[in-house]
Amino acid sequence: MALIAGVFGSMLGVGGGVIMVPTLSLAFGVPIKTAIATSIVCVIATSSMAQTTFVSKGMTNIRLGMLLEVATSVGAVAGGVTAVLVDGRFLQYSFAVVLVYVAWQMNRRGGDDTPAETGVLEASYYDPAARREVRYGVRRTRLGFILSFGAGDVSGLLGVGGGAFKVPIMNLLMAVPLKATIATSNLMIGVTAATGAAVFYGRGYMDPHWAVPAALGILAGARIGPRLAMYLPARVLGVIFQVVLVGFAAMMVVQATGARL
Amino acid sequence: MRPSPGDGPVAAAPTAPPVHVMDPVERMIHLVLLAGIAVSVALMAAGLAFGLLKGGGIPRGVVPLGDLPRAARGLSPAAFLSLGMIVLIATPFVRVAGSLIAFVREGDCRYVVVTAVVLAVMCASVLLGRI
Repeated sequence: MALIAGVFGSMLGVGGGVIMVPTLSLAFGVPIKTAIATSIVCVIATSSMAQTTFVSKGMTNIRLGMLLEVATSVGAVAGGVTAVLVDGRFLQYSFAVVLVYVAWQMNRRGGDDTPAETGVLEASYYDPAARREVRYGVRRTRLGFILSFGAGDVSGLLGVGGGAFKVPIMNLLMAVPLKATIATSNLMIGVTAATGAAVFYGRGYMDPHWAVPAALGILAGARIGPRLAMYLPARVLGVIFQVVLVGFAAMMVVQATGARL
Repeated sequence: MRPSPGDGPVAAAPTAPPVHVMDPVERMIHLVLLAGIAVSVALMAAGLAFGLLKGGGIPRGVVPLGDLPRAARGLSPAAFLSLGMIVLIATPFVRVAGSLIAFVREGDCRYVVVTAVVLAVMCASVLLGRI
């Protein structure tokens, strides 16, 4: 199970907490706090392991990741404040709608924007599937930064890593090619997750009985995922990602309708 | 193969895939992550092995930070598993700190500030105890 989560999480740049938490708590009867703690450890494992591949191949836009990380980490802290002000159920419904809309947009667009050199945070990587070097620049940095704050806020609120929001922001809005987006999002989720994990550890919710086998499985899976991400055509990756977004939206609706996990 | 809309103007396909040469920042991150994973896997494996030798399976619950040194000296499986998890959790912190050092070395002032802010927020939110 953890192995599969590792492959998928690292292939798509999402943490996989959305899949891990319900599986652990429903199928294995793990208490919810322990399930979340285990899932967060898995996100860290996914991110760290996948980055050893992505970084060494030059897929990750480190500067872009660090810049947006300012917004997401501050946003995550703000999530605690927002939770008091807004009804969580309302948020879950709204974001389910946003996710479906994003999946539809990605589907309509059918691929990456034509990469253009914008002079902002330019980077390039070699795409083994297309067999060519892709150069790109980042667009709409300011808006992306502001929306990343929102993504961090949501991940702080709903307890999910936020990869599902970061990938569309970078890919659709900032015109970063999907593969570079996935690699960069993967780098960023590690930071958010590590912060959360430290807190959970301090409160004693970590249970090695679940976390250690899960982490080891993830570490193995996350060696495979990035290679799949690099060698699959961007179009195929996009379709898989859209399916995951719709599934994610469905999960949020289920949670919001009261099936408190 | 039909070109996707993402295909840019540069379409010259090189015959052999070029080998990516990591810049100093990438090298630093790569090194930190590999080391972090290696150490945490070694500690977890040791913990699992001690658990098997002593019997009783995988322990539940982590060892609080204060009791770790004593428990580790006693070769307690829980202590090694806890240490492994701590190293795993600490790795992204060290990675951000490592990138900070790499940006300082490169003299990239803007990203020294950006990275320092990220590290500060990470530490602050751990101290605040909420995310």
